[in-house]
Order: sequence, then structure tokens, then C-alpha cells
Amino acid sequence: MFSLIFTWLIIAWGTLACIYMLRCAWTRFPRRDLDDVVHFLHPVDLSLAESLLDPTADFELRWHSTPRAYREATRRRMRLYLELVRRMSHNSRVLIEYGNAIMRRECPNEDQPTDTHDNPRAALASDLQHAAISVRLYALLVVVRLRLRLWFPLDAVGALPALQLAHLRIAGDVDGPKTYHELKTAAEAAFVQFQPADLPVLTRNL
Amino acid sequence: MFLLWYIPLLLLAILLAVLVRGRAYKVHPWFFAYAAFGVAADVVRFLTERNISVYRVTYWATETAYWLLGIMVMYEILQRALGNLVRTGWGRLVFPSILLIGLGLSLARAQAVPSALNGYRHYIVVGAIAVRFSEVLIFAGLATLVPILGLRWRQYSFGIATGFGVYGTVSLLATTKFSDFGTRFKFLWDVTQIVSYSIAVLIWIWFFSAPEQNETPGSRLSAPSPSVLEEYKNAMRRMR
Repeated sequence: MFSLIFTWLIIAWGTLACIYMLRCAWTRFPRRDLDDVVHFLHPVDLSLAESLLDPTADFELRWHSTPRAYREATRRRMRLYLELVRRMSHNSRVLIEYGNAIMRRECPNEDQPTDTHDNPRAALASDLQHAAISVRLYALLVVVRLRLRLWFPLDAVGALPALQLAHLRIAGDVDGPKTYHELKTAAEAAFVQFQPADLPVLTRNL
Repeated sequence: MFLLWYIPLLLLAILLAVLVRGRAYKVHPWFFAYAAFGVAADVVRFLTERNISVYRVTYWATETAYWLLGIMVMYEILQRALGNLVRTGWGRLVFPSILLIGLGLSLARAQAVPSALNGYRHYIVVGAIAVRFSEVLIFAGLATLVPILGLRWRQYSFGIATGFGVYGTVSLLATTKFSDFGTRFKFLWDVTQIVSYSIAVLIWIWFFSAPEQNETPGSRLSAPSPSVLEEYKNAMRRMR
């Protein structure tokens, strides 16, 4: 019985993967190129993220609200933070692609190990990729936690305590807002070098 | 119908020519061996089909070689797609775990659905189904990693995995579903196998017909290459 269920699950997974690869081949994404990277970025309000993660604000909200109102407000704040983290994740993906394109241009032979110390331009792209990967890992962990809590509001029935957003500042030893700030710095450094004309738009959109 | 039987052979011959032209044997030697063996095995099967006893031995021997080569190709794909991850720490367990899951499911299926075959042929079929499970798991796993980690999908390893994945998924679906209906659908089962295998070979031809490096010419962007996985690994190490 279990083997049959597993078999069907694997077949379903394989079918979904086939459909996904077909979609990849059909759309041939990504359709961005180096010149319009900045227009694919979604602005992230870091000050809003900081205020959502502030434990004092959370404590104050809890202090001044009824448990029900606090739960509702927390869910609203969770949805807001989820949107911010999704934007962070999207931007980091765009910037990974950007860094990857630069790396390919600077170090055309991908199979050879590259010493970025010899090539400061490649080092900029490498730093950008490092920061973007950290943000992406952070986003992965936080999105999973937030989605689970939003799908299964166990705090409403008292099975779990309400989620304090302040606990989401660090996931997997990565400080989200701090790492995203580092990503912004790395992206700005790369754009100063490679696309200075787009720097103001980058600063605005990141 | 007779012609349909030889379409995979024709396509495999084209694939072999594409692989030789692109010197793919340097990058994916096991896959090249698989394609070359595919052509040779089909030719030998064609030559021996008039002599039933010789054909039977040839068929089962080539079937065994097919799935053994399939395992090696799967290992090669994982090694290429995940880089050094498959040689270190938990990464070393990925491939054996997939094989064990495949074998476990195949054995469980053999237990649940009694086979008309006996002796060594029964074990060859069990092995072949285990390899199909492994192929689908590896393909589905890699395809899942594309959106999650932002891997570049248009690379040879993913092409090979996609071909095996499509064939494996259809093959498992047909095997599971038709086994419920009985032997009356054997003809349909055979046609499904041939069509899905032909599609798999077409996918391989499509992937290998373009050079891997020139996929993103000029300023065109692409998702990260497998080398970026090393960066993920370092980031994960920092987290621990």
C-alpha cells in the first residue's frame, strides 16, 4: 500500500518536473540582460522590515491589545514581512544571475577554478554572489516558517504561542536585514564598476 | 508498426553523431557510452531477431547492461550538476540513498504485483524498474533545485536527466497503470515505451545540439552555474 502511494507520488513529482522543464524550454527564461537588471528589481523597505522585527514594537502591541487583536495584527505583520522577504529573495536571484553573467564575462572558462584575487572585477561579482546567496538562504528558511504559520494558525487554538517576528531576524545564523544591506552595498560596488549610469535606479529599486 | 520499432535506433544513431560532433564524450563519458551501447545493442537485437533463443539471451543481456549504464549515467549527472557536493559529507549519501529508495520501491512492487517472469529475468526487471525510480527521483530533484537555488537548466546534465526523467515517468506510469489492466494492454504498453524513449532521445539531441558554453552569448543573463553551488555549500557551512 505504502509502496503504491510512494510510486504515485514519484510519478506525480516526475510529471510536475516534466511540465516545469517544458515551461523552461518554452519561455526560455530569464529574458533579462545586463542592461535592464535594475528594472527587474522590487524595492525593499528595510526600515519597514526593521520596524516589523523590532521586539519593542511587538511587546507594545501585545501589551495594548487583546489576545485576539494581537493575533490578527501579528498575522497582518507576518504577511507584510513575507512580502518583504519574497522581494529580497527575488532581488537576490536577479543579482545572482547578474553576478553570474559578469563572472562568465570575466572568467570565460567556467570549469577552471578561478582565483578572484587576481581579478578585482571578478572579485566584485563574487562578493555580490556571496551576499545574494546568503540572502536567498535566509529567505528560504523564513518563507517556509512564515508560510507554515500562516497556513496552520495553531496559535489561534492555543496549540502554539503566537510567532514573534523578532525571532525571524536571524535564520540559519544569517541576519536577514543586515545581510540584505550587505547585498545592497555589494550591488552598488558592482554597478559603480560595470554600470555606473544605472546606479541611481539600482539604489532606488533595491 | 514494424517501422515504429526502429525509430529509437535511428534517433540514437543521430544522437551518437551529435555527441561525437560536440565531443561530448569528454564531458559525459558514461552518457556517451550509454548512447553508443544503445546503437550497438539495437543493431545486435535486429541481427539476432530471427533466432529466438539467441535473441532472448541478447535481449536480457543488453537489458541488464542498459540499466547498469543507466546507473553510471545518473551518478555522472549528479556529479556534474552538484559539483563537489556529491563527494563530501551528506552529499556522499545522496546517490546511494536514491538507489536504495528505487530498489526498495521496485522490490515492494514486485511483491505486490506477481510477475509472469521467473529466475534471472525477474531480477533484471526488478533492477530495471529500480533504475527507472532512481532516474525519476534524480530528474525531479534536479528540476526542483532549478527554481529554488536558481540553477541554470540549459546544461547537458539537466538535458540528460530530463530525457531519463520523461522516459522513466512515462515508463513507471505505464507499468503501474497497465499492470492493473492485465496483459491485454501489452501492445499499448510497448508503444508507450517506444514513443516515450524516442521523446527522451529527441530531448538529448536537442540539448546536445547546442554548445553548453555558448548558451548565453554576450550580455544575456542566465541563472547560476553549478559552480555557484559551492558558494551555497560555504554559506551552509557558515551557518552551522
